[in-house]
Amino acid sequence: MTEELKVAVDRRGTSGAILYTKGYINNVGGEEIASRAYELMEGDVRSLLLNLRETKIVNSIGISILIEIIEKMIDKGGRIGFCCLTPVIHKTFQIMGLANYASIFTDEDQAVKEMGLAS
Amino acid sequence: MTATAERQMELTLPMVPDIEIAAARAAGNLARELGMRSESIDEMAHAMIEACINAREHSGSNDRRIYVRITGTSLGEGNSRIDIWITDHGKGFDVTEARSRRQKLGAVHKRGWGLQIIEAHMDEVSITTSADGTTIHMVKYGKNDD
Repeated sequence: MTEELKVAVDRRGTSGAILYTKGYINNVGGEEIASRAYELMEGDVRSLLLNLRETKIVNSIGISILIEIIEKMIDKGGRIGFCCLTPVIHKTFQIMGLANYASIFTDEDQAVKEMGLAS
Repeated sequence: MTATAERQMELTLPMVPDIEIAAARAAGNLARELGMRSESIDEMAHAMIEACINAREHSGSNDRRIYVRITGTSLGEGNSRIDIWITDHGKGFDVTEARSRRQKLGAVHKRGWGLQIIEAHMDEVSITTSADGTTIHMVKYGKNDD
């Protein structure tokens, strides 16, 4: 039994991007997101938004990988945001402290505006 | 309130990747039958996922099985209660040490958050653990959907 995560990328300008996730963010899903995020960082993306609208389940291992992504982005002087979280995922992010180091937005429009990601 | 209409389910699951999703879906289906609100079901599902992952990743059990028991009880007046027991036959663990873990960015321990997540999402949590295995008993109370 596997729950594959799908990730889509939307580049915004030279230094921004939005990652759209669909499915379960577990260890495998987290690594998939990390792979895409690190590629973007190598390409000088410094403002990265993760839209989790189509992700309804996360686990602590997946979130720990998201935290590693945040750490790497902070090291590079960039910023990561999340939007469209379910109430339970938002609560889980707060429990694990992720919300202290990344921006959490209610919807994509607000995130795009705040993070300067307009296309 | 009077407790009525108890429903019960027992599952024996292999410790394979993503099996926690099967356990969470089973509990979710039972809770939906009782009319529990979706946000309460989501919280319960995330707690169950962490409990199953802890059993799979850390129990060290020889039989590589997770034993799940779920009961659902209608409490009347639009209230319900779900009890979940997750059992493994592993080597047990130090509950005090597990509860004391806290993560910070840059810290060594990025993992080990399962118990904190379980306790935050459920209304009652009790753990029985020894060298013969661990059972975590979790309770979720819910108001029904209108």
